[in-house]
Amino acid sequence: MKRKMKRWMQGTLAAVLAVSMLSACGGGNDKPSQGVEGEGAAKPFQGKKLSIATANHPWGDAIKELIPQFEEETGMKVDVQSYFEDQLSQKLTVQFTSGSATPDVFMYSPLQHAKQFYNNGWLQPLDEYVTKNADYDFEDFSKASVSTNTIDGKIVGIPTITEQHILYYRKDLLEEANIAVPKTMDELLAAAKALHDPSKEMYGFSARGQRSALVSQISSFMYSEGGEFMRDGKAFLNSPESVKGMNTYATLLRDFGPPGVLNMSWPQAIGVFAQGKSAFFADVNSIYLNAADPEKSTISDQIGYAVFPAGDAGSQPFNIASWGIAMNAKAADKDAAWAFIEWATSKEIMLETQKLGNPGSRLSVWASPEGTVAFPKELAEVTMETQKGGVDHSLPQVNAVGEARDIIGSIVQRAITGEDIQAAADQANKEFQALIDNESGQ
Amino acid sequence: MRTNWFDRNQKWIYTMPAVLFVLLMMVFPILYTFRISFYEWSMSSTTPPKWVGFDNYIALLSDARFWVTVKQTFIFTFGALIVQTVLGVAIAVLLHREFFGKNLVKTIFLLPMVATPVAMGLVWLLIYEPSIGAANTLLKMIGLSPQLWIASPSQVMPSLILMDVWMWTPMISLIVMAGLATLPTEPYEAADVDGASTWQKFWYVTLPLLRPTIIVAVMLRLIDVLKTFDIIYATTQGGPNMKSETLNIYGYTLGFQYFKLGMASTLLVIFFAIVMALTLLMIYVRKRLEVAS
Amino acid sequence: MKRKKRIKTIIMSSLTGLVVISFAFPFVWMLLASFKTQAQIMSPDEFLIFKPTGQNYVNVFNEYDFMKFIINSFIVAAGSTLGSLILGLPAAYAIARHRLQGLGLVILVARIIPGITFLIPWFIIFSQLGLVDSYLSLILSHMLVGLPFIIWVMISFFEGLPTEIEEAGLIDGCTPTQVFLRIVLPISGPGIITSSLLSFIFSWNNFMFSIILAGDKTKTLPVAVFNFMSYSEINWGALMASACVITLPVLIIALLAQRFIVSGLAAGAVKG
Repeated sequence: MKRKMKRWMQGTLAAVLAVSMLSACGGGNDKPSQGVEGEGAAKPFQGKKLSIATANHPWGDAIKELIPQFEEETGMKVDVQSYFEDQLSQKLTVQFTSGSATPDVFMYSPLQHAKQFYNNGWLQPLDEYVTKNADYDFEDFSKASVSTNTIDGKIVGIPTITEQHILYYRKDLLEEANIAVPKTMDELLAAAKALHDPSKEMYGFSARGQRSALVSQISSFMYSEGGEFMRDGKAFLNSPESVKGMNTYATLLRDFGPPGVLNMSWPQAIGVFAQGKSAFFADVNSIYLNAADPEKSTISDQIGYAVFPAGDAGSQPFNIASWGIAMNAKAADKDAAWAFIEWATSKEIMLETQKLGNPGSRLSVWASPEGTVAFPKELAEVTMETQKGGVDHSLPQVNAVGEARDIIGSIVQRAITGEDIQAAADQANKEFQALIDNESGQ
Repeated sequence: MRTNWFDRNQKWIYTMPAVLFVLLMMVFPILYTFRISFYEWSMSSTTPPKWVGFDNYIALLSDARFWVTVKQTFIFTFGALIVQTVLGVAIAVLLHREFFGKNLVKTIFLLPMVATPVAMGLVWLLIYEPSIGAANTLLKMIGLSPQLWIASPSQVMPSLILMDVWMWTPMISLIVMAGLATLPTEPYEAADVDGASTWQKFWYVTLPLLRPTIIVAVMLRLIDVLKTFDIIYATTQGGPNMKSETLNIYGYTLGFQYFKLGMASTLLVIFFAIVMALTLLMIYVRKRLEVAS
Repeated sequence: MKRKKRIKTIIMSSLTGLVVISFAFPFVWMLLASFKTQAQIMSPDEFLIFKPTGQNYVNVFNEYDFMKFIINSFIVAAGSTLGSLILGLPAAYAIARHRLQGLGLVILVARIIPGITFLIPWFIIFSQLGLVDSYLSLILSHMLVGLPFIIWVMISFFEGLPTEIEEAGLIDGCTPTQVFLRIVLPISGPGIITSSLLSFIFSWNNFMFSIILAGDKTKTLPVAVFNFMSYSEINWGALMASACVITLPVLIIALLAQRFIVSGLAAGAVKG
């Protein structure tokens, strides 16, 4: 009898052990994988594993294609996980909050994350690394893009992508209707109206309508009317200038936009344009290939690019260092992580990614004739024109950017659904002010 | 003897591991949530939790977005519950007869319930797609104009309710069918003698006899509909314009998107209270009806 | 009279057909679309008749390593079901035989509480223990659904077992423990199968706990499908293929064990 019980206990114990062993496997993986030391200097990181998180941005796709080359050179094994922008942001926050050592290296949006992530101690300062290797030539990065990635005097990320807000249009449609390329907001509204014909599935204007995604897009509309998210530490959303800018955007989408626009981020919005269903599309220049690549687009040969239209304050689109690449402060092997960053942002690779259509942050790449070969001539001209001026941010400069985006985005969503925009802006302004006060109080 | 001791205390030894699990994984977290609801904390390693007393409760109860989500939670819950109960009972009565392929029909019925909700959300996303989705294709076929479904602030709730109805009506039907199988035959014979019509038999005989079964089914569904998360988060994440944001979704956003853990905990304490109160109310109603009948 | 009856049968049959079509349609649509190219999905003419392609499945497995997520999901679902059985079976037996109704009520409360209430404290605690992105944290969290369910179903199952067999066992000289292990459990097969299958399915489908507690290494299928969804929102064919991959095992279980599952879902109801 005793033996039976013992057996039962053993059985239970074995099962418990089995369960805890499963967990041990999970826990075990947390530890840095020890590379096989070998072959010496030629492949210093032979057998090391590196995990990278990217956004589903064309740059992420381009770098993924080039990674086998990096693996070949260093002997590292690179695991890439891609996320949609919103999800990447949430994913990174959750991982870092829980003290995760992965991902080692990640794509991030400095305007949204640099401040918050650095203040939480999640970003590894890179000042020592960037000067290690003279060939890397850190001076080559544009000053503006580096300053976006600098918090409290520390370099917290390396800029990879610069973006400008531009207007895409359909050359054939404008020509047919004898409409000139709009140079002002009023002309854009009139042209979108003239070309809007929903019965033929042709819409005047397409752009992001999703609450959080649209916030960066309305920034240029507000700036061009003299508006802003905040001014001198005060919420500025319900000022006449800001409301006018947002109202133009909301009107374009409400009256001349495609159906279902409230659920559209940029991939869907540019999809509408690429399927030949909208006359205008406004967004950043760096995603132009989604419309200009004949494999993805039915109107690839009819695209025109124009400088962002002017409002009362002129043409003031954002001109930003929108994406960077940064290192987890808890990364297991920081030298390996840096090796990847150094490679991905080296002159050679940035030239490669730029040749694939990703506007980069290195001056030498822009200066070389090969650097602009990818871009249609008109797009290159518009880009260089926009780079001369513009505003250096597209999101409010607070810590809790995610929450602020939800507050601000709802103004435009409510306006698109026909609610009074001033009332929506007044309410959002109050909430946004509370958020600002709360942050400055700490 | 040790074994004797073991056998004598069987009921405690057998239940101990489960009770320990419940204490550690459930009771403790609930107390912990309650505690954090009085703090302000974003889990940042640099700033520790700050005691704020009832500030979170005051802030939440004066937050317009919170009250909108409360309202929407109730609209979703009762909208879905009413439709699936009526439809579920009707379908159960329809299927309560012998016919060829009955087992197959029952199996098909099982599928929406057990299929992974996130994947089903994905399928419905395609069904609701305004330009290529099946929903609009169907509307056009019968001569109606296409709709925006989950992309429209006014239609998003009904569209999500439809999804939940599709997933869970079968559950009500299966429970009611099991109930129908146990009904006595005498009342029907008596009704036949009185010359009652099919409809009258349903209304005056079947329905009252089924009442206890239906109430149980409704209770089970009420608890689950209130907590619906997967299909909403996977399709709309509360949008457009927060028009499908329920308490569950808002709590999740506060906690894991804004990382306002104190505020999120406050919301969850209130949510917990609402769910418990409604469940107790249902139990009370059920008892009253049982006494009445 | 006879004619009226025939008309009634026709109406009933067509209504039944309509019901079946409505509930099966999303599955059919999912399956068809998973074998279509993007262009075919866009074109209404090719709804039923089209040239099928397996490319979507190739993409799902090659470009997006779904095999790893399938294995993760399986480990977590099997682990949490096993854990729930080990803790749940003795507990349910004791509750049923010793009439520990108070305890039964506590278990029921577990079914009522919104799962998200636990998620924040768990996340904080598991983070501090370094257990986020481990199988242990996922299995424990999924047991929160599985354990109460198994206990609940098994209480009513054990209560339904005639006590005579157990009494006979005791008279034969078995200890209560032996009675439980050697007499009660072997004849409880149907109850155990029912509750384990559903506990497995609940865990397989779980999204809310996994999206927070799973990381890169332990990502389960629902989280992977969700990430995939917004990553390539426009590639409907591949999305439908991923939806098929995740649903298929559950559907197979449901088809093979239909009887068990219906009784399991009803068991929760009968007791109320």
